[in-house]
Amino acid sequence: MAEPYAARHYGERAQDYVASTVHSQGDDLDRIERLVAGRGLRRVLDLGCGGGHVTYRLAPHVGQVVACDVTGPMLKAVAQEAARQELSTVTTVQAPAEDLPFETGAFDAVFCRFTTHHWQNAAAGLREARRVLAPSGMALFVDVTAPPVALLDSWLQSMELLRDISHVRDYTVAEWTGLLGQAGFALKTFRTHRLRMDFESWVARTKTPPERVATIRSLQQEAPEDVGRYFGGEAGGSFMIDVGSFEVTPV
Amino acid sequence: MLMSGAEISPPLDARLLSVLVCPVTKGPLTYDATTNELISPQARLAFPVRDGIPVMLPEEARHLEG
Repeated sequence: MAEPYAARHYGERAQDYVASTVHSQGDDLDRIERLVAGRGLRRVLDLGCGGGHVTYRLAPHVGQVVACDVTGPMLKAVAQEAARQELSTVTTVQAPAEDLPFETGAFDAVFCRFTTHHWQNAAAGLREARRVLAPSGMALFVDVTAPPVALLDSWLQSMELLRDISHVRDYTVAEWTGLLGQAGFALKTFRTHRLRMDFESWVARTKTPPERVATIRSLQQEAPEDVGRYFGGEAGGSFMIDVGSFEVTPV
Repeated sequence: MLMSGAEISPPLDARLLSVLVCPVTKGPLTYDATTNELISPQARLAFPVRDGIPVMLPEEARHLEG
């Protein structure tokens, strides 16, 4: 059987994601660090760790970080970077979110940043996150969210898919809260912020082929006014996206 | 690198072994240090450990005989 689609697709881009400033910086990473600092957590999960930016922030504050991703080369890059930073608490496991190879209740906290939009089955992935979380634990999910307007939603998903063929869906805030509730989580806090996507680095990171970059630019240039206004479209193609942070506890 | 053993794959981190279960059955795993695999007796699967990273994908696992 073939490797999972996202794994096949992201293998060759691992180093770009370790180096990405969009992924390695941000108020949400500072907040993640504040959530764990001084709490003496024994074991935490970075679910869909990608370039490992959550892992590196968690590592100095906890007994063990398990960095989990479906993409093998990404994990190898994370293990190397953790070794370079002398973060001895980092361990790595290759697995899809939908079928986690961890004991029930194994983790004091689960963090999941910019990854749910890749999952084949978000409901199953969230159920698994809930299963591996200790009853007294907490989880934080951070991801791009789709606007609650059908037109804007369609435009966002279209641009995302053209840019990255492994894109599944950016969920709306309403979809997120529904999925979290069904998975057995209670929402503790919700925050949203906007993030500027620099067009050149946005398409460079995913190695989007030139013909699809041209299609995205063509769509942007002919977008209805409502669309251009909402996404803050700039002449060079850069635009703004919404990012939601959902802090949850087990029900 | 002058070490002759540089190509030997690093073994599994012992801290991981205590929390890992079979992704298919959620049952226990045993580590076979000679083959560097995680064995799920219930699923009859052997999951490889590559570069010290357990590869917990059923499609990458070796099917056990019998």
